Amino acid sequence: MTTLRAFTCDDLFKFNNIQAFLNFLSQYGIPFYLQYLAHWPEYFIVAEAPGGELMGYIMGKAEGSVAREEWHGHVTALSVAPEFRRLGLAAKLMEMLEEISERKGGFFVDLFVRVSNQVAVNMYKQLGYSVYRTVIEYYSASNGEPDEDAYDMRKALSRDTERKSIIPIPHPVRPEDIE
Amino acid sequence: MAIQQADKLLKKHKDLHCAKVLKAIGLQRTGKQDEAFSLAQEVATLEPTDDNSLQALTILYREMHHPELVTKLYEAAVKKVPLSEEYHSHLFMAYARVGEYKKMQQAGMALYKIVPKNPYYFWSVMSLVMQAISAQDEKLAQTMFLPLAERMVEKMVKEEKIEAEAEVQLYFMILERLGKCVEALDVVRGPLGEKLTSELRSRENKCMMMYQRLQLWPECNALSYKLLLKNPDDWQFYLSYFDSLFHLMDKSWSQPEEGEHCVEGPVQTTVAEAVKFVVDRMEEQDKKESRPLRGPYLACLELIHRLRQRGCPDEKELGDPLELMVQFFGKFGDKPCCITDLKIYLHLLPPEQRSQLVPLGEAGEDGFGFPGDTKALQRHLCVCQLSRALGLQHALDTEGKLRLITELKAHYHHGLQFGKSCLKTELQFSDMYCLMAAHVYVDLWTETGDENMLWQCLSVLEEGLSFSPSNAQFKLLLLLLFCRLGAFQPVVDLYSSLDAKHVQHDTIGYLLTRYAGSLGQFAAASQSCNFSLRFFHSNQKDTSEYIIQAYKYGAFEKIPEFIAFRTRLNQSLHFAQVRTERMLLDLYTEADVTLSLEESVKAMGVCPEEDDIPWDNMRDNRDLTVLVSWDPKDRELTEEHRRLSLEEESVWLKVRSLTLRLLASLALLGHAPSPRNSDKTNENGISAKSSTLQTLLSQLDQTLETAVQITEKQTQYPFLGPPSSRLASALSSGSCHCQASGVAISNHLQEQCKGEVLEMKDGRLTTRPSLLETLVFFVETVCVVLWVASYSASVLRPLKSSLQKKKKKKKDSSSAMPVVLCGFQEWTGSLQGVVTQALDHVKGQEASLTALKLAALTLEEGYSQTQEECGFTRAAMDKVQSSYLGSLQELGDLLRKRADSLKSLKI
Repeated sequence: MTTLRAFTCDDLFKFNNIQAFLNFLSQYGIPFYLQYLAHWPEYFIVAEAPGGELMGYIMGKAEGSVAREEWHGHVTALSVAPEFRRLGLAAKLMEMLEEISERKGGFFVDLFVRVSNQVAVNMYKQLGYSVYRTVIEYYSASNGEPDEDAYDMRKALSRDTERKSIIPIPHPVRPEDIE
Repeated sequence: MAIQQADKLLKKHKDLHCAKVLKAIGLQRTGKQDEAFSLAQEVATLEPTDDNSLQALTILYREMHHPELVTKLYEAAVKKVPLSEEYHSHLFMAYARVGEYKKMQQAGMALYKIVPKNPYYFWSVMSLVMQAISAQDEKLAQTMFLPLAERMVEKMVKEEKIEAEAEVQLYFMILERLGKCVEALDVVRGPLGEKLTSELRSRENKCMMMYQRLQLWPECNALSYKLLLKNPDDWQFYLSYFDSLFHLMDKSWSQPEEGEHCVEGPVQTTVAEAVKFVVDRMEEQDKKESRPLRGPYLACLELIHRLRQRGCPDEKELGDPLELMVQFFGKFGDKPCCITDLKIYLHLLPPEQRSQLVPLGEAGEDGFGFPGDTKALQRHLCVCQLSRALGLQHALDTEGKLRLITELKAHYHHGLQFGKSCLKTELQFSDMYCLMAAHVYVDLWTETGDENMLWQCLSVLEEGLSFSPSNAQFKLLLLLLFCRLGAFQPVVDLYSSLDAKHVQHDTIGYLLTRYAGSLGQFAAASQSCNFSLRFFHSNQKDTSEYIIQAYKYGAFEKIPEFIAFRTRLNQSLHFAQVRTERMLLDLYTEADVTLSLEESVKAMGVCPEEDDIPWDNMRDNRDLTVLVSWDPKDRELTEEHRRLSLEEESVWLKVRSLTLRLLASLALLGHAPSPRNSDKTNENGISAKSSTLQTLLSQLDQTLETAVQITEKQTQYPFLGPPSSRLASALSSGSCHCQASGVAISNHLQEQCKGEVLEMKDGRLTTRPSLLETLVFFVETVCVVLWVASYSASVLRPLKSSLQKKKKKKKDSSSAMPVVLCGFQEWTGSLQGVVTQALDHVKGQEASLTALKLAALTLEEGYSQTQEECGFTRAAMDKVQSSYLGSLQELGDLLRKRADSLKSLKI
């Protein structure tokens, strides 16, 4: 039992149970959230429990060149409060983001994940995502030092009939080489 | 460096505008505000039209917080280059940054006339909507701005020029605000509505909104039904389905005999149909191979709840709530949210059934059989949570509660084995047992007053944190307990390890700022105010930029939302509190009394006549349920608690802000013009100032009266709810009234400070954190009195010297000093005495606290704890002791400073 609806600014005041205190998730500043709300409001969805507690949210965007068949949906953040895990909520939110990307005529959906985050990598694999490439030192620590590599994971959408977009690139790339 | 480069360029090309502006940016960033500003103005008055200068000036003005000057810049630019699409669009954005809606409307149209692109036209329309939203006069909005906006869109519709989804959304927004719901529905359901594709269920959501506004219950019901068939887990549609069903029943609505009865499909109008619908949804889930959804099962409980509210006997058709809950537990008991779900419906159980829900868990022979895996652990934990929520834990006697704690601790320790491979950032599976044990300790402490329970509670939480260092609930409860104990030092680290970001400064910042100052940790207090203030100040600039972006991307619905967000932060209770407290702290601790009070006040920008706190629109953004609680409903935070807490905090804020403004008006009074050129106007000036003082004083008196009434209520909040404000202790310490009259320091303040803040008796530790609070009020009062004294001294000094001159002239040694001068000297003398006394007192406290050897406590005996537990308890005790010491030291330092300033008050 989950109410799925558009994220609004007022939700930021109820953020404490999802966002707060999960320091392994990168926390963003207000400008970051406002930017997504201003540009891709449809890609910012929140799940709410009947008691009004926020259960989780997904935030994404559409980007890339259509001509080069790189137009795609991107998952920027996906977060579920510990209390509401193991209910399939993350899968539901991903499904919604994929549907929005389908409607926009995207070729694929992609996301970045820490290579060490096996739980997340496995979850995305179950949802049909595969590792497209490794991005070296994509994540940096709070002191600015390079911290960890990322997997760029992708799932083809129906527009990419030959599933060309997900053919893995064998060699790792650097963050400055990705768009 | 940048400045030098710019200078080089300027040597070659004396009038290169852009180089000048770049130099100005360099100056501004190196703190030379005035130079930067005048250089920029030099260029701006020449009305540049080159893009580089304009952009650079825009950046500079924004950094200098003068966005209004950007509008002047582009106004001049479009006058000189009237056909520039770019400059016109910059002008529009410049207006948007400062919220000049009327001018935006015109700028949008001007743009559209130059380049007839749809977005420009709709920028203009949206600016009309913003004029409507911001209009003071709702009538003006409804009869002028919105109808004009509507006509502008209609024109485009007629000419078939509507292109984008955003344009349809804006049309819908206008109609909705005009209350033209039927027309709005037509738009959504008509061909224009086909453009609404980005957002999922965009058309359905908008239709549902209009059905509810128009009370079209058949449509509302049918649409909810349809959407639930598609997604039987989406809770909002169960609510609209039930709402509409009962509305239809109340109106005895019946299906029309002919034709399609509702555009949205079949309508359900009887309880029997609803029962069948819900039962079918549950069966559907039961048959599923994959993971069942919770929605249908909870919808069943919700329907029972609603039927019972209506006194409808049909609830039996759905089954017995107890059985349904047992079934729900069977399916979802291993999910952490099971308790959150069931808690809402526990009231459906009659009291005699309550204990029956609890033995659901698999109990072993020896009382507490341990779960074999994490799922079993979660189920057992859920049972414990239920028993707490049902009030069964609270009903236990002291013995029973202690046994319960032993059991919870055993489960906690046992469960740690499942989380051996957990990362530091992950929580332990059994953490919640530990937290619950802490809750039971708190119950025992508040019931019996036995401080022993508190120490053990701290111990169990510290232990929990050692295994699960990122558990925020442990930190929050520890933080609260240390605050209640009056030990603020450990709180600083705990709070900073929570890593609170942005809005959290507003929602949970109160946890920090409520106690820091009041416990005598002035440096920490001022730092925590600064954290919050930094966030609030950046809010204004941040939101403006994204309002502009929302125009660019056509996210029109977000524009009023961003503005409402900004307003909500600007009107925040916490914002007003930290603003006021920060300035008071500065006056109490930083400012030097011998320097002019006037300068300090001026630097802070306090204006006694001006009240910048939005008393009537104050927003309480505090998250008062951030601490997890499984308490039964009658012990939980209520709306009434929230109301009372806000009332109390507001009155306290008023006392503080009036104190601040009084000090400020004192400063201006001190700035009396020299008597030599005292003409009429000047005299009027002084009397105006002193009447401000009078007004503020009488306001403070009134507020204190209200304050007394409020504290007489003695509101008790749930332990995990909001802390009480400082009001009650401020009043009982006499500090408020003393600060208000500002004439004498009442001795009973000091009376209250007697005793030790931390004591060891019969091998046990006793705390008296209220001593610290009282001491802080004493010190604050000393500060206020000192400011008054320093003002008096500045008035009396010239009087005395003129008297002395007269004396010399007359050579009359017999004329005595005027009473007022003697009085002042006597007064400062006695002040000196009081402060010295207080200093000795603090020194004494410090000494006895340092002498207290906690190591001498034999915890094993006094507290019947294991060696490990003793370690955690000792650690907690050490933290408290050192924090008390820190507070006393800061208080002592401050008193010494003030004693020094007193000496300089000789006249």
